[in-house]
Amino acid sequence: MRSLLCAIGACLLGLAAQAQEIGDSMRVAVLETALVTAKQKTQQERLYHFFNANKAATTEDILSRLPELSLVRRGSYGMDPVIRAFSASQINVLVDGMRIHSACTDRMDPATIYIEPVNLQSLQVNTGGASLLQGSSVGGSLNLKLAEAELGCEPRLSGSLSSGYQSAAGAFYESAKIGYASHRWGVRASGAYRKSGDYRAGDGQKIPYSAYEKANYSLSGAYLLNHSWRLKATLLGDDGWNIGYPALPMDAGYANARIASLGAIKENAADRWNFFEARLYANKVKHFMDDSRRENVPIPMDMPGLSATWGAFAEGRRRIDGRSQLTLRADGSSSMQSASMTMRQEGQPEMFMLTLPDVRMVQSAVAAGYLLQLDSLSALRLHARGDITRSYLTSQMGRDQLKVFGYEDDRRYFVLPALSASYTRKLTGGLQATVGAVLNGRAPSANELYGFYLFNQFDGFDYVGNASLKAERSLMAEMTIAWQQPKIRWQLSGYYSSVHQYILGIRDPGYSVMTIGARGVKQYRNINRALLTGAEASMIYRPFVNTQLMATLKYSYGEDGRGEALPLIAPLRSIGSLRQQLGQFSIQAEWEAAASQRRVSASAAESPTSGFSIAHLRAGYKINTKQIAWQLDAGVENLFDTAYREHLDWGKIFRPGRNLFVQLTLGF
Amino acid sequence: MKRQFLSVIFIAAGALILASGCKKDSLEPEEDPAAGLHQIVSGYAIGAAVKLELYGNGPLSAGYTPLFFVLYDSVTNQLIEDAAIELRPMMNMGAMEHSAPFENPANKAVDKLFPGSVTFIMATMEMGSWRLEITVRRAGKEGRVSVPVTVSEPPYGRVRSFVSKANGDKLIAAYIEPSKPKVGVNDMEIAIYRSQGMDFPADSSMTVTLTPEMPSMGHGSPNNVDPVHIGNGHYRGKVNFTMTGLWQLNLGLFLEDAVAADDLFFEVNF
Repeated sequence: MRSLLCAIGACLLGLAAQAQEIGDSMRVAVLETALVTAKQKTQQERLYHFFNANKAATTEDILSRLPELSLVRRGSYGMDPVIRAFSASQINVLVDGMRIHSACTDRMDPATIYIEPVNLQSLQVNTGGASLLQGSSVGGSLNLKLAEAELGCEPRLSGSLSSGYQSAAGAFYESAKIGYASHRWGVRASGAYRKSGDYRAGDGQKIPYSAYEKANYSLSGAYLLNHSWRLKATLLGDDGWNIGYPALPMDAGYANARIASLGAIKENAADRWNFFEARLYANKVKHFMDDSRRENVPIPMDMPGLSATWGAFAEGRRRIDGRSQLTLRADGSSSMQSASMTMRQEGQPEMFMLTLPDVRMVQSAVAAGYLLQLDSLSALRLHARGDITRSYLTSQMGRDQLKVFGYEDDRRYFVLPALSASYTRKLTGGLQATVGAVLNGRAPSANELYGFYLFNQFDGFDYVGNASLKAERSLMAEMTIAWQQPKIRWQLSGYYSSVHQYILGIRDPGYSVMTIGARGVKQYRNINRALLTGAEASMIYRPFVNTQLMATLKYSYGEDGRGEALPLIAPLRSIGSLRQQLGQFSIQAEWEAAASQRRVSASAAESPTSGFSIAHLRAGYKINTKQIAWQLDAGVENLFDTAYREHLDWGKIFRPGRNLFVQLTLGF
Repeated sequence: MKRQFLSVIFIAAGALILASGCKKDSLEPEEDPAAGLHQIVSGYAIGAAVKLELYGNGPLSAGYTPLFFVLYDSVTNQLIEDAAIELRPMMNMGAMEHSAPFENPANKAVDKLFPGSVTFIMATMEMGSWRLEITVRRAGKEGRVSVPVTVSEPPYGRVRSFVSKANGDKLIAAYIEPSKPKVGVNDMEIAIYRSQGMDFPADSSMTVTLTPEMPSMGHGSPNNVDPVHIGNGHYRGKVNFTMTGLWQLNLGLFLEDAVAADDLFFEVNF
């Protein structure tokens, strides 16, 4: 009897998981109150699935095509996500809900590098109130959801193998996954390997130091406890070697990450508490930056870095009545970040300093979300979060270093209250409008508080931390209009964000540079106010069953309180993609275009960027034999071999030129 | 027989352990006033009935050298805490002799030690050797000790002799702090003496600027505090080191507005 119940439970679960993929109609049935949420996410999910269909795409390729996201590029690998005009510590980048801190002081290792498409289940970009549940920030959150071990009604073994080549960088991209699912338990293992040489840019030049090599592997398991509860565990490892960063003066000799988590999940639509998840996680990142492969280095140096984080969170959703739903969450994490620099010169004693002096940051928060369906046409959503972040240094040398700048006390507390409200209303003709406001904030990062002469290649300044920084506070208003017809869906969002105590590096002529060739020293300061505003639009049009047209458009604008442009603000940018399915054959034409960016930051000595337009052609062929599904993807990226660079690319280095790619994937 | 012998050893060992345990309990621990210091010489100032022990922070080397005297009554072996000690360092170079700057201890011991200093302006050489002439006066009695000492050359020069560009005075600058340099904020202290034949009076007239520099990288460090005169020719400020390695502490000496020295520096390596 019991096992029968379990079996039913498992099958229901499978059904629920399927329902998510099928889309809103199923979700509405299961969770009527989440109606608006589901629809809002769908556009993003659809775009994600559209671009994920290309098996040769990397996580970064997918990220760069979402309308809310841009990438700061310092090399072929390790591109740093930007949500709208917010970057680095202004946003929360989470791996399956887990916080992972960079071990590299130059942000060579954003958390997004640890997920390969083979173990990525979905992407969630939250810009508004919903991001409050995941963390305090001024710019929102990006969560990369890891693929989980599946459970199924019938025991089933499944897997895939994929192998590909890209010509511009002579790159190989290999991946494999295997999974076993039974109604009681499931396991899943995946691995990916990428090796890339120096790539050839659009002007025909080989870009030195742009090669990299990496391996990624993960193992996850799920175990069904009863019809609503299951346990899940994940281990993930990522190793990179000799990763080149042409826009930086140094490369990464190696970068290792180890990520582990253990969780319990309850899903039962019939219960009042219909969803609950508790998770414990830990991760450790080791990063070794060096210049051993560079030529003409005045002083060879090594810059190793370490970050270790552990944390836990618990989140539950409760249906209050047919019209409202409450989400409660508690999360906490403790992280350690340290980095040092050792410089060697023939016949001289070694020089050693802590560039990030053993920083401990402890964060804990409670958050709540409340969804109230006012009537059949409108809903109100409220979110609140209270976050306390504490930071301090754990080594005497670190504290002694900080005293050089006159900071006698390294301990800081930040209390970050956050609130948001949004209202959604269905209008006539498939139109739906959402207006919302978010009051949020973030604690300064370890680099901003305690960084010690961190050279920033972008503006050529040494940056020193400021242990007396205040928290950044933001007030954002957002409006989204979505229009849905059977054949067309479009969505337009506009936002206006006023950030108070905005943290920016300000030149201090009283300090002398440490790095040879640096233009000066900047110290992080709170500037009174910065304004960031912009809009993004996306459209998915399906004129015929086998034809899909997708287009996105985004624009952002940023200035400090005195009218000067903020650095690294992407210009107007658009992507369009037309996909035609012809039986087992599909063909896709894609174009990307960006306007020039002439509004540049003078104090960051930022250069203007020209506009560009490039085109890609992709084709896919799928064939299913009895046991194996074959998929061949091939195409040409940057068809016209255009020499171009994006505004967020550092170092005025052109992106890859014409790239022929082929990727063969077989699944069973 | 063998077993008996062993048991005797064990009993003896046990008794020893117990005895030493008792000793610790029953007696006030006798504090060695010179604990942690390095003994340089000892001798008898016979006329004053004093046994004298001389300590330093380590073996003597050229530069400003703190010295610590411990005096005992040579008859009763009691520690002496009130006495006047006069120092005269002498370097004998065969044909000529010269002295060096020094600071006599106060007449009252501090924690049973009489601290003073000698600034050895050079190391012991083949052609020249140092000796310390120490005069002790106590309770109306006076005794003299003359002891040869060996002064080594430190890895980085700690004393500089130069001629003031402002007025032609012969000057001596000696490095005192940081004696244990670390990354962070360090006390910086130097002493300046005028060289007048056999006398080396302290100089209090200088304005000192401090510019630390890492010569291999060409950078400095922020928020240093220029040394200012604090008495007896000592000038104290703050020096900040942002990393380990070899640093050069560049000093500028000014007599009112005139440059007395602009090429003076001490090296610090840690």
